Amino acid sequence: MKKTALITGVTGMDGSHLADFLLSKNYEVWGTIRDESSLNHRNLESSKDKLHFIKSDLKDQKSIIKCVENIKPDEIYNLASNRGAVGESWNTPEDASEVNGIGVLRILEAIRHCNKNIKFCQAGSSEMFGRAVDVPSNELSPCMPQSPYGVAKLYSYWITRNYREAYNLFVCNAILFNHNSPRRSPKFVTRKISQGVAQIKCGVKKHIVLGNLDSKRDWGYAPDYVRAMWLMTQQDTPDDYVIATNQLHSIRDFLKIAFEYIGIENWEPYVKQDSKFIRPTEVDIIQGDSSKAFNKFNWHPKISFEQMVRTMVEYDMQKLNKECGV
Amino acid sequence: MKQMKAIITGITGQDGAFLARLLLKKNYKVYGLKRRTSVENTQRVDEIFQHKNFQLIYFDLNDAGAIWKLLIDINPDEIYNLAAQSHVRVSFDIPEHTVDGIAMGTLRILNAIKTVCPNARFYQASSSEMFGDNLNYPFNEDSRLMPASPYACAKVFAHNLVRNYRESYNLHVSSGILFNHESPMRGENFVTRKITLAAAKIKLGLQDKLFLGNLDAKRDWGYAGDYVEAMWKMLQQDTPDDYVIATGDFHTIKEFLECVFSYAGLNPDKYVEIDERLFRPQEVPYLLGDASKAKKILKWEPRISFQQLYEMMYRADYEYLKRGESQGLLQ
Repeated sequence: MKKTALITGVTGMDGSHLADFLLSKNYEVWGTIRDESSLNHRNLESSKDKLHFIKSDLKDQKSIIKCVENIKPDEIYNLASNRGAVGESWNTPEDASEVNGIGVLRILEAIRHCNKNIKFCQAGSSEMFGRAVDVPSNELSPCMPQSPYGVAKLYSYWITRNYREAYNLFVCNAILFNHNSPRRSPKFVTRKISQGVAQIKCGVKKHIVLGNLDSKRDWGYAPDYVRAMWLMTQQDTPDDYVIATNQLHSIRDFLKIAFEYIGIENWEPYVKQDSKFIRPTEVDIIQGDSSKAFNKFNWHPKISFEQMVRTMVEYDMQKLNKECGV
Repeated sequence: MKQMKAIITGITGQDGAFLARLLLKKNYKVYGLKRRTSVENTQRVDEIFQHKNFQLIYFDLNDAGAIWKLLIDINPDEIYNLAAQSHVRVSFDIPEHTVDGIAMGTLRILNAIKTVCPNARFYQASSSEMFGDNLNYPFNEDSRLMPASPYACAKVFAHNLVRNYRESYNLHVSSGILFNHESPMRGENFVTRKITLAAAKIKLGLQDKLFLGNLDAKRDWGYAGDYVEAMWKMLQQDTPDDYVIATGDFHTIKEFLECVFSYAGLNPDKYVEIDERLFRPQEVPYLLGDASKAKKILKWEPRISFQQLYEMMYRADYEYLKRGESQGLLQ
């Protein structure tokens, strides 16, 4: 029988990749949208005709219950988040807490009261580890979140566990480390680089301006990560899993591969540094240990770091060609 | 010397009442904040209501504007955030209300302090329930938080926000991780008070059954009067920090029950029945605190022992009931 899935945050990077993935698995896929007038289809070009949309807002309990009752989903994936960025959560901490924290409680309440058989996967974040004590971090590592975003994500993690244990619900936390794809917003450094490199290649730009080039991250490829979310939801028992590549790369590494792809070996003259892009408190090293996911359901990233960088640059070059005819 | 001004949220609760008395003794001007309720619940502060340095004010943690205005009007030196839906089992029934008051309410106060009175000192009532499923007791300030109820998840939420605001905005904000603390003013639906009140009623022939939930949970019980001293001491430090406040000794609920009944000259087996509905959906088996840091830095130590505590609570309930009072209140 055809399964039905509900995705919150379907217009985002992860939501759109997950929609593609579930459609390929022959799911009926529903995505929540907050407001039609602001519906951004940018990431849904390939899938929007096959998707169903329903209005819902994580700040409104009734709208969530309406989704659960009308769509009768077998699985719910919560990828919605308040405009993403960690830094922004300092400017809108109440919104960050409401959406990323209490919004998850509202979904859990809807499941508990309407249909306890729904399987739920919560997109958690490595930001919950914050000032990491254990590097690489695993499912048992202590948490010292360093932003309202990280604090809210940690709440969502615990309340999800709490509902699993107290009410025996099938609910999972996917603790996702940094991940990217060509659908990443250009506000993030990775996409900023891939776009910038494509622009340099096409001669419309001379430099990329960046902050700290030495900070190291565990960067995965978003389609691999949404596959992990689906896999954990198909297991016999619900659990929490770190999803990461277990490998560290610096911004320099990213730049090197990106520039090599367009035939530039000596990339340094093309990159300028500006202190305004350096965060006041840089989180030292963010690295995950996803051996639990590997051992339990044989998940490992299929796309390497190098492949991911090249895919992103290639996408941006093609996009630029199409848009400007360069 | 300038008179200190303190705001206490949750003034109608057990801790609010003890803290208000302590601060009035120290010649503070005390602003007690309460929500509007259709049934009056100010019994615990009735006695200080007429005190010239005490003022009761309506507010609500859901109302950011009201909090803002109060801080502008009062310009307090100290703020003690004790307001909460504080019953763990009930938090499973009203989880959103619980987190809204505890986490969002705390966040709204922190945001207002940051803008309106960044030099004010802030105390956050954190809770030993935050340790939840962690079995590596005794717990200190570095122990892993593993919350196991909507109440505890909300307290961890607020606890981390307080730390964030301290580290990022350099505010004087501290969290007291308080283990269970009781008194004759404890709410009647908390297990300790429920037991002492029932024992007193049974003794006086006013009740013949006591329904309880899980008797095996072990708790570190102190005296609320001692614990509010620790709150005040935290805000007198030069640097803000988090402190565990506990006695370092723990007992099962069953032991508490047996001690009280034996003190009353009663056999609990004749009166106590277990009611499954009183079990939490998820239990926290052991809570034992290690308050070495508070002892060292705050020079704080609990004065009232376990035995003194349950005897005091039973006696208060017994004597008030005997005098025909409907509520057993201290002093």
